[in-house]
Amino acid sequence: MESNEVLIDCRSVWKVFGERSREAIGAITGRGLGKQQVLREFGCVVGVSDASLQVRRGEIFCVMGLSGSGKSTLIRLLNRLIEPSLGTVTVKGRDIAAMDAATLRETRARHIGMVFQSVALLPQRTVLENAAFGLEVQGVGREDRNRAAEAALAKVGLSDWIQRYPRELSGGMQQRVGLARALTADPEIILMDEPFSALDPLIRRQLQDEFRQLAKDLGKSAVFITHDLDEAIRIGDRIAIMKDGVIIQDGTAEQIVMNPADQYVVDFVAGISRLHLVKAHSVMIPVDQWRRQWPGVSLDSLPQCSPDADIDALIGKITGTGSDAIAIADNGRIVGVVTTRSLLLGVRGDAEPRAAA
Amino acid sequence: MERFVTTFDRVVDDALFWLTDHAAFVFDGIRAVLEGLYDAALWLLMLPPFWAVAGLAGLIGWRVLGPAFGIGSALALAACRAMGLWEETMQTLALVVAASVIALAIGVPLGVLAGLMPRLDRALTPALDLIQTLPPYIYLLPAIALMGYGPATALVATVIVAMPPAIRLTSLGIRQTPAAFLELGQAIGASRGQMLWKIRLPFAVPSIMAGINQSLMMAFGMVVIAGIVGSGGLGETIYGAIRTLDIATSINASIAIVVLTMLLDRLTQATARKP
Repeated sequence: MESNEVLIDCRSVWKVFGERSREAIGAITGRGLGKQQVLREFGCVVGVSDASLQVRRGEIFCVMGLSGSGKSTLIRLLNRLIEPSLGTVTVKGRDIAAMDAATLRETRARHIGMVFQSVALLPQRTVLENAAFGLEVQGVGREDRNRAAEAALAKVGLSDWIQRYPRELSGGMQQRVGLARALTADPEIILMDEPFSALDPLIRRQLQDEFRQLAKDLGKSAVFITHDLDEAIRIGDRIAIMKDGVIIQDGTAEQIVMNPADQYVVDFVAGISRLHLVKAHSVMIPVDQWRRQWPGVSLDSLPQCSPDADIDALIGKITGTGSDAIAIADNGRIVGVVTTRSLLLGVRGDAEPRAAA
Repeated sequence: MERFVTTFDRVVDDALFWLTDHAAFVFDGIRAVLEGLYDAALWLLMLPPFWAVAGLAGLIGWRVLGPAFGIGSALALAACRAMGLWEETMQTLALVVAASVIALAIGVPLGVLAGLMPRLDRALTPALDLIQTLPPYIYLLPAIALMGYGPATALVATVIVAMPPAIRLTSLGIRQTPAAFLELGQAIGASRGQMLWKIRLPFAVPSIMAGINQSLMMAFGMVVIAGIVGSGGLGETIYGAIRTLDIATSINASIAIVVLTMLLDRLTQATARKP
């Protein structure tokens, strides 16, 4: 399913709010002013500062940040609910800033779905009518749009509720309707604006897993906004961490946990369990190094694991076999060795020098 | 200053006379339309026997607000008939209905526009404030100068008085669409028309219904005052009773007005509250 086709390409995008935002942008490009200086000189708030990201087909891209970090602004720049002050956003190869009103409506209707934290289900309409709303706006006939909506509602497990009204549903079910509404129009990209943040933890985890499964099954790309790093790790193929309008780091969960870009990220990842996150290839030491440390032991006598085995599996292997080290084999070739020491460092989040590359 | 005021007054008077002399056909046309509407409403109300009208009102009241209200309404209307004021009551109702239909036909669309265009709203607000602060019978004077004695004059004045709440509350309702739903409309690719019909208007319905209710109540008040210009109906009955100091008749007519007002007020309020 995954390919390298870039669906959303966001390059050096800025959003400056305030009456004098034009002047502020001039000063940013001309004099290289920073966020603090812009606020002091022009009274303008920089919502998003020089953000670049690419979302590829079939990928779930999470943007994690605390409130006020600019993540909600960033996601709205992607479908031009907010106009960027500077920089370009291309969706499927087309610059959305250059689109006229009709083309923009068409793009939003067919290619970019959106799910909101507030859900925004129309209270006067049934679940089915809400799910069909996107197609209704596109002018699809009642029968066709209801069929598509029923199929989408079935995917989120709400087939028995289609004739109910939103107020009769629990918060988790309402958000499923929101997701079904986005799926009904069959867009390639779904923007998820903190969709599960208002739900209680148990329902939230359930919906996270369901969403990821569904997106992967249907081959959808998603940009998923969250303030919860656990959620980002559960859902995202790649994660960008935002602070004060700046994307301070992006990469896979493992890359971020193993090589945090700065102290802010270090603090964030401190409480995250590495057991399922960190893989053997991040904690193994090179074969040469191992030979020097343990000259008497034969490599072939060690139990073997693949580079994708996570720490949990490695611990299982070591405790189960009684061996002090595990050889990591990739397609039959030994690429490194995980020792008890490197494993323990991995659990704590410190990779051996050189080994994390 | 005094000179300026007298000059201003003369100019206004002259303008009014000029209009009566030269634009008579316009006002005759308006008068014909208004009276036609009023006559049609009255004809419909007087067509069935009184018990059918009272029975129907009772039935609607029962369905909307329960048995007590339904039976009460039917009995109260029967009392109007017993007081010998049936025709006058129906005339008043016809006036209110005709005036409200016109006031709403203009007021609700204007309110929608004002809700969508903040500039129009800002321009309308002082005009509406003025209309609502002036004593309502002021509107009878120019109307009687242009259209003479009769129900048409009463209707013009009533429409002017009944329109402001419809405009204000419709505009308010349109402006109060929750932001999340406006964002949904944009994100889903809705056009301006779809945004209005499918998102803004459904949320504005309770506010618009409140506006309709308020307009009706204003119309009732004005229709009674318009008795002075020969509107017909209970207003004229009361005006006549005041001139002859006929206290009993004025009390009877007042009771009939209260019955009618309560009936329409409760019914429109109840429909406004329904989801």
